[in-house]
Amino acid sequence: MFHLIMRTLVETGRAPHYAEAARTLGLRVEDGRRLLHEVMQAYTIGWLHPDTDYIASFPPLNNLPTQYRVTVNGEQRWFAQCGFEATSVTWLFPGQTVRVDAPCLDCGEPIALQMRDGRIVGVDPPGVVGHLNYGFGPSRGRPPFL
Amino acid sequence: MNLFRSEDHARRWPLFQPRSEQGFITLTDLAGFFGTETRRHMLDPDYLSAWFPRRAAERRAYLEQVGKATPFWLGTPDPEGGR
Repeated sequence: MFHLIMRTLVETGRAPHYAEAARTLGLRVEDGRRLLHEVMQAYTIGWLHPDTDYIASFPPLNNLPTQYRVTVNGEQRWFAQCGFEATSVTWLFPGQTVRVDAPCLDCGEPIALQMRDGRIVGVDPPGVVGHLNYGFGPSRGRPPFL
Repeated sequence: MNLFRSEDHARRWPLFQPRSEQGFITLTDLAGFFGTETRRHMLDPDYLSAWFPRRAAERRAYLEQVGKATPFWLGTPDPEGGR
């Protein structure tokens, strides 16, 4: 199930619904739903939309649009979970240039980052930085999606 | 976990937390942090069982390497309890 979700996200820009995944995996629909929940419990950095069976986030990509738009081969089909995970998307597209575009949350002006096989090959403006507003894990005191 | 045009832009962000002065990371370090070995196997069929469990230790080692082995970055309980 994990592999199917990740591959589908990479190939289409969208995560499959559990009923679609179940069919692909040869499972009963309800077994697909249960398996989805098991996967999301194990993949602790992703999450379902609260009180639903819908995949919201499956890092490094997001099924729910964010401001981190990802373009590969001229096609903007994907969204990164956050600005940090955006730098990991490159590993899902080996041998290809991955471009991340986002507005700066302060001024709304554009930020553009290009990576290829883990290397930064372009950044505009040059002073772009990452910023963690709340600490990770228990130090955070905030939900993981903020 | 955001990208900003510069540190000054982040500090001007209305939601900027004063404690997050320690939350800046260069793009190069960030790419390294999110480019450790396990990340290179996200498309492997056994990623969730074989690679994902190694991620925490790997992240910790990288944060130590770049001088960010603090509760804020490690996700360990913060004795100061700040937010």
